[in-house]
Amino acid sequence: MKKRGRGMACMYYPLGFTSYPNPSAAFAKYNPDGSATVLTGAQDIGQGSGTVLAQIAADTLGIPYDRISLIYGDTQAVPMDAGSVASRVTYIAGNAVKKACEQAKSILLDVAADMLGVLPHGLDVADGWVYLKDFPEKRVAIADVAKTAEVGRGRPAQGHGTYNPATTLLDKETGHGKPYEAFVYAAQVAEVEVDTETGEVEVLKIYAVHDCGKAINPMMVEGQIEGGIAMGIGYGLTENLVIEKGHVLNPQLANYIVPTALDVPPIESAIVEIPEPKGPFGAKGIGEPSLLPTAPAILNAIYDAVGVRIRDLPATPEKILAELEKLEKEKAK
Amino acid sequence: MSPVIGQRLPRHDAVLQVTGRSLYGEDIKMPGMLYCKVRRAGIPHARLIEVDTSAAEAIPGVMGVVTAKDVPFNAFGFTHLDQPVMAQDKIRYEGDAIAGVAATSLEVADQAAKAIKIKYEELPAVFDPLEAMKPDAPKVHKDNIPTHFTVVHGDIEKGFAEADKIIEERYTTQFVEHVHIEPHAQLAYYDPTGRLTVWTTVQRPFLVASDLGKVLKMPLSKIRVLTPCIGGGFGGKNEMTTEAIVALLSMKTGRPVKLVFTREEEFTATTVRHPYVMFYKTGVKMDGTITAREVKIISDAGAYVSWGESTLTKALVHAAGPYRIPNVRIEAYLVYTNNNIGGAMRGFGVPQAGYAYECHTDSVARAIGMDPMEFRMKNCVVSGDTLPTGQTLQNATLDEILKKLSSMSGWKVAGGDGR
Repeated sequence: MKKRGRGMACMYYPLGFTSYPNPSAAFAKYNPDGSATVLTGAQDIGQGSGTVLAQIAADTLGIPYDRISLIYGDTQAVPMDAGSVASRVTYIAGNAVKKACEQAKSILLDVAADMLGVLPHGLDVADGWVYLKDFPEKRVAIADVAKTAEVGRGRPAQGHGTYNPATTLLDKETGHGKPYEAFVYAAQVAEVEVDTETGEVEVLKIYAVHDCGKAINPMMVEGQIEGGIAMGIGYGLTENLVIEKGHVLNPQLANYIVPTALDVPPIESAIVEIPEPKGPFGAKGIGEPSLLPTAPAILNAIYDAVGVRIRDLPATPEKILAELEKLEKEKAK
Repeated sequence: MSPVIGQRLPRHDAVLQVTGRSLYGEDIKMPGMLYCKVRRAGIPHARLIEVDTSAAEAIPGVMGVVTAKDVPFNAFGFTHLDQPVMAQDKIRYEGDAIAGVAATSLEVADQAAKAIKIKYEELPAVFDPLEAMKPDAPKVHKDNIPTHFTVVHGDIEKGFAEADKIIEERYTTQFVEHVHIEPHAQLAYYDPTGRLTVWTTVQRPFLVASDLGKVLKMPLSKIRVLTPCIGGGFGGKNEMTTEAIVALLSMKTGRPVKLVFTREEEFTATTVRHPYVMFYKTGVKMDGTITAREVKIISDAGAYVSWGESTLTKALVHAAGPYRIPNVRIEAYLVYTNNNIGGAMRGFGVPQAGYAYECHTDSVARAIGMDPMEFRMKNCVVSGDTLPTGQTLQNATLDEILKKLSSMSGWKVAGGDGR
């Protein structure tokens, strides 16, 4: 018989290392053709952090997104970064990039104020222009200002920035301390169908609500949520590296079962956008948190469907059948 | 409105990605490049007596072989200097590197790696962290418990005394491999001026540069770590793996040396998600108030600490869950075994704890007959609440998230948000 159930799970997760300093540094410069170059130590590992950093730079510098050149991946050439780990890149490297861009921008505005005959604090940048905030028709192209800054004034418009979250160590006796600066939160609901004959679980649907502060790129956030859920399905139901007496028995993708597109159900995701005051443009992070609630939500749904709680991951058909059998025996008593 | 922030812009490297032009680790090549294979231990626990490389070196096409003897400082690790580049006197798990071979083709390198003779004396091994904690267990290192932590908040005994019901459960989790689509790939070139350039597919190039400097005893000014496009990491590419072996082979041969892990090596000789054994005990009143929660976590570190201590501290801080609980006690132990090395993996200890605390929280809600959604709405942390570690939360959003989830999924709760 196929039985349906639903389950849910919450999570909270920090941005950055536990207690230890984990700084990011960045460098930014306007180029005389109106483009900009940003150097960061944060490595894009496929998750799209480079895209987010380029968006942060583009908005801060007032340069179109496609005219930002983002350089990373060379320890002798780019500023230091603690790594693309710990869901920290948008928040920490993003803050460093924003600071570097703000410093470059303040030089640019100084020079532009001089060119326009106004005071710098009345100016801002957008879409390749420096303009007077109260009278946008009065403006000058960023390319002209950047060129004048370099060639005319001898003051290249460039800057650097660093960011490190404020944390404390944990006390050795009590474990008390402030190990993190900011947290994100999430909750998911899983709907499943359990086959009581075979023990197989089909995940029918996942609802996912995540907080990532301001979403710099909602499409990338959704991508992270969906990818994390796929990984969570594997964690909850199929993935298991079998190590017997120190020997790995299933070192192939043929028998170490990761979910494929066919195993991933429809996902309805939503972002609760509450800006974090310390984040760049209010942003926090999403990398790791997307995975966290999925497995427990599925396992709670299995319990809801058939009344068995699997307390050892993954919830394989064998374990579910064994628990169902136990349940039957108890009922028969 | 910003034309950039909050916009669904395509990836900065989208065109290269979809046209297959991105350069990944495997794509990096140099003229005169040699191919590397690493010989692994293949036994879980032994005293290493001798590594005989003579038969391998005699094979035509083999240009160089390195072992522990060639490593200037044979230990690395983020919190504990317990991991060798290649095994020195002891083998602690099957994936321990024993030697590296550089040859003119991958086939010859493979043949040579297999021709290396390892003389060893097998030692009793331990694979269960609970067994490894016992005083008479075989010792993986001097002490099988490299670290442990405690969090104490409120008065746990008083909390349990106030409870109407006490629910106790034990949860366990498995070994998990990252399965990033791109395996580890490395290419090292030690040039005639004494500068070392290493291309490697890592998430933390600056950490790898620093660790290479330490084990090779080279100044950082002479080390340049470059990263190509990277096909996923999930924490599996957080640390140095075999870069030093590839670098030493380039130093020995004067030629660029390249190593790409096979999928099998990814499963047998790289880090995994730590299996945790977790004991949860919660006291609750019939009105749904949680009065106390006690947690004990035992993490299987495998053969070396790697990220074991850092993952455990993250699990520790989050182990009680995002709930308002006045009395909490959490204990966590990291334990060496002769299993694969536990490392960083997406969620860093919290997926293990999260699985346990969320299934356990469900059991608690059901024990008092309360709807799981309503129970969480009643107990979830809000801004101004204090975590078991004493930190006061600012800008907590879980209450908003639960309201949204309840309406989105149609999981209605009697009495609105339960508060």
